[in-house]
Amino acid sequence: MPPSDPIVSIRKLSKIYRQGEIDVTALDAVSLDIAAGEFLALMGPSGSGKSTLLHIIAGIDRPTSGECFVQGVDVARLNESELADWRNRNVGFIFQTFNLIPVLTAAENVELPLLLTGLSGAQRREMVAAALELVGLSERLHHLPRQLSGGQEQRVAIARALVTDPRLIVADEPTGNLDSESAHDVLEILSSLSRDAGKTVIMVTHDPKAAAFGTRSLHLEKGRLTT
Amino acid sequence: MSLSGYILRNAFRNKRRALLTAGSVAVSLFLFVTLQVAMREMTIPPEDAGASLRIAVRNKISLANTLPARQLPLIEKLPGVVAVMPLTFFGGKFKDDESLGFAQFGVDPGKFLALFGEAKIPADQLEAWRTSRDTCIVGKTTADRYHLKAGDRVTLVGTIYPADLELRIAGIYSGTIDDTNMWFHHAYLDEAMGNWGRVGMWWLRAESAGAVPGLLDRINAAFANTSAEVRAETERAFQMSFVSMWGNISILINSICSVVVFTLALVTASTMSMTVRERFRELAVLKALGFRRHQLIACILAESFGLAAAGALAGVGTAAVLFGSGTMTKIFGGMFPAFELTPRIAALAFLIAFLIGVAAIILPARSVTRMSVVEGLRTID
Repeated sequence: MPPSDPIVSIRKLSKIYRQGEIDVTALDAVSLDIAAGEFLALMGPSGSGKSTLLHIIAGIDRPTSGECFVQGVDVARLNESELADWRNRNVGFIFQTFNLIPVLTAAENVELPLLLTGLSGAQRREMVAAALELVGLSERLHHLPRQLSGGQEQRVAIARALVTDPRLIVADEPTGNLDSESAHDVLEILSSLSRDAGKTVIMVTHDPKAAAFGTRSLHLEKGRLTT
Repeated sequence: MSLSGYILRNAFRNKRRALLTAGSVAVSLFLFVTLQVAMREMTIPPEDAGASLRIAVRNKISLANTLPARQLPLIEKLPGVVAVMPLTFFGGKFKDDESLGFAQFGVDPGKFLALFGEAKIPADQLEAWRTSRDTCIVGKTTADRYHLKAGDRVTLVGTIYPADLELRIAGIYSGTIDDTNMWFHHAYLDEAMGNWGRVGMWWLRAESAGAVPGLLDRINAAFANTSAEVRAETERAFQMSFVSMWGNISILINSICSVVVFTLALVTASTMSMTVRERFRELAVLKALGFRRHQLIACILAESFGLAAAGALAGVGTAAVLFGSGTMTKIFGGMFPAFELTPRIAALAFLIAFLIGVAAIILPARSVTRMSVVEGLRTID
């Protein structure tokens, strides 16, 4: 049953990749609504199109056809520059491999998206400290990524996703590189972001245990939603 | 943290590579400015304040042909002449020198300072030179090079003239554009040559720069249709006639400089390509976070500029210190008496560094522009 107040509204979304002479359908006329504050787990086998769907919603990939409205904006119609600004303001990214900049400290990594906002240095530092405190890393502000555990790195990545206070957080296999304890911590944080802070979290995962943290799970198979 | 802080961290992410790249820029630009300064000095010889008043008179047939000594009183009488003296290049070998270590000239010591007033020499040494026919004065550069001092005896073995000259050093002079020469009594050479009555050239000083053109004409006219016609020319023109003997040296040096610059551009471009390729994933993450293409390219460009500028500062700075201290003049054994790094050559080196900084990121920037975030995130570290 579609949510009554969707933050994401997708209609007949298709994505076809061209690999040499062959067209590969990654998404096949997918329609979907995601409510604000929802924690949606996207599941499916490799190549099912779940990451492609996540990327289109987050504005880092474009559909071949169909509509993808996020917070009322058809992201497919924005040009590169508009899309970059839109991502900075509206989307927080969490990746499987954390993707922190190795030469920057935890605080500096978290500060990166804020460099584009025009905030003062003091304001940025305040927001960085708040974001890192939220993920329980207040004591690790000046540590480089190599000085952190995998779970801590992912929590820094979550702080980086949160620091601009976006309404939408997309996470691509956020626990894929973590041990079970760290994975549990990360999922707890994502869950609380949805539950307590009203963030909409869309998470791609293979792991049913991780998906269980979500408020809804959807399965993709060969580019189509099956449940 | 600011964006410049981020750029700085990136620039020193691989310290060894950054240092090697900046080092290659430094060495290449040092070589570039050295070649340019050498070429400038060869093609535009330095001159001192008195050069505009000096006139060289030589045999019209060629420099190798001498002139009769009897021309002296005729030249002295010409209006506008302040001083005139014979000047004969001896070209003798000193000690075990394989080639000519320094130039030696027979001149009139009584007129020497009237023509080369820039030379600084203690009065007692000058007097000692003037009063003893078998003495000479030596430029400080050559004296330092051969550890010569006043009172030393030197022997010049003639290679052009069939005579060896035994000379005593009366003094050491300095302060001229070229402090490498040895000057001795022309009369002593005359004597060694059996009073041959010839001189290599006449060197004279005009009363003013304005008088020079008319004087040149008068000198040439004075000996026209004689058995020893002359060619009078300004010191600058005389020097430039030597420059023409270098042939296409400019083309050769500029070709070497072009190869150096081109190689440098390839090295820097290779470094920046490697740098960007290694960070493809990070750049994709930055794009995902909202950084625009031009911001990413600006970061890469700043890093490239930083390396090129650091190299240019090191290379041109080293050149400025070395050239300024006279080290290069000593290394080249007085071949280049001034070896001066001019602002124009320094600016040219920095311009090249600037252009290399831009050129080095053309291909990486193209990759970044074309890269999609998804494609970049798939890149394996």
